[in-house]
Amino acid sequence: MTPLLDGSAHAIANAVRDGLTSAVAITEAALGRIEIRDGAYGAFTDLVTKRAFERAAVIDAARARGERLGPLAGAPFAVKNLFDVKGLPTRAGSEINRERPPADADATLVARLEAAGAVLVGALNMGEYAYDFTGQNAHDGPSRNPHDHAHMSGGSSGGSGSAVAGGLVPIALGSDTNGSIRVPSSFCGVFGLKPTYGRLSRVGAFPFVSSLDHLGPFARSVVDLAATYDAMLGRDAADPAQADVAPMPTAITLDDGIAGLRIAKLGGYFARCGETCAFEAVDRIAAALNAERTVELAEAERARAAAYLITMSEGAALHIDRLRARAADFDPDVRDRLIAGAMLPGAWLVQAHKFRRRYREQALALFADADILLAPATPCRAPKLDQKTFKLDGKEMLVRPNLGVFTQPISFVGLPVVSVPVWTDGEKLPIGVQIIAPPWREDLALRVARALERDGVVSAPVAHFA
Amino acid sequence: MMEKVLDPEALVDPAAALLKLTLTPESRAQTILHLTIAAEQAEVLMSGPIGDADEPAPVYQP
Repeated sequence: MTPLLDGSAHAIANAVRDGLTSAVAITEAALGRIEIRDGAYGAFTDLVTKRAFERAAVIDAARARGERLGPLAGAPFAVKNLFDVKGLPTRAGSEINRERPPADADATLVARLEAAGAVLVGALNMGEYAYDFTGQNAHDGPSRNPHDHAHMSGGSSGGSGSAVAGGLVPIALGSDTNGSIRVPSSFCGVFGLKPTYGRLSRVGAFPFVSSLDHLGPFARSVVDLAATYDAMLGRDAADPAQADVAPMPTAITLDDGIAGLRIAKLGGYFARCGETCAFEAVDRIAAALNAERTVELAEAERARAAAYLITMSEGAALHIDRLRARAADFDPDVRDRLIAGAMLPGAWLVQAHKFRRRYREQALALFADADILLAPATPCRAPKLDQKTFKLDGKEMLVRPNLGVFTQPISFVGLPVVSVPVWTDGEKLPIGVQIIAPPWREDLALRVARALERDGVVSAPVAHFA
Repeated sequence: MMEKVLDPEALVDPAAALLKLTLTPESRAQTILHLTIAAEQAEVLMSGPIGDADEPAPVYQP
């Protein structure tokens, strides 16, 4: 079973469909591997063993009846614990929320993946209330980087990155407000897709910053990333933030290659606020794609500042009652940022939203001459678990709020991004590069990621487990 | 030199009282740190033009 668990969801679904194995056998193997390995990774907070076996048995019974199986048939998956899972309290990384009654229904995206045949095996560790870039959790312990356990997984979807990189599941879901899919993808060396803002339903996911929240998948192959994303597409009438844009499945164009695509690197801000390895990774991707042009996204630093302030302010508004009544039960690092957010002038929030519209026009203008933009995903490889500060652009900064310097100005526009993992000989840890597409063109970002994967430029191997 | 957009030390205690938030000494110090960072970010945000007629994007669609 090891080759299947180390492989793709696509391969698992084919094996189940062809009768080479069963969904129940895959589920048993995946849960067995989680039991052995997760003590080292800290990726899971909940297992739904009974549900998983019941679901797998339904798939096997459907096959026995000769029914057509879904594209993800039998593939195990897990979700950041801010997704509603029927029967579990949606803890969202917090101590406080685990006192909530169990969810009485699954989040829309969980239900859609199961409808495609995937088998939910559990919920994943995350930074408290998603206000985190490190993968630390004050209540459940950190999710660790499977490629070096002394290093961060990245956050706030740290358990998602860790579970996929560690070979516990081939696909996982996370959320991304300012970089929380792209940062752990970069640190853990997996593929992550942050779709266009408003693309996927957020129903049944505990919010953080409504203006900026996105949900999306992690995977170890681009084929899986696209298949998972495609399975989650579709209008959800219960989500007022979802845009009225026709779904565009991506699998059918995934192998179309990069011919005809105009690809450019982002310069300026995106070429100066990080360590050399971040820019070298972009250069390698650019060279592989024959992307010789560099363009500048003006006012990216202001965009990052605006996203920072919107996050503090909206996050505080969401949690103000809990900050009054349960301050001692928060992770102190999260609580004090939220308290400060509650004290910010309202004018700053309005100014930030006004700037957002201006900045959007500038960002969209770049796509008149380019189809894809490249930028680092993180300013460095995964820091050590206890590292509190680092130096960026010559300035000593806190690690926790600043790992998103390159992701925030992109999600602030709402652009779709695939983070691809880049490896360097002699280095244990990878670093990610953002493949950025125009709004609603996830298909283009996935096509480019797939071309890079096919040419061996990027890859997401399962971490060696000793 | 640009005038500071916010004085965290002056703000923290009256704001906490107004918001009915109780701060421990450790929390107060960290709150001041995060207000200071926020003020730096606000200075960056306000460093360029935002016009009277610019519309915010409350229900944002890219």
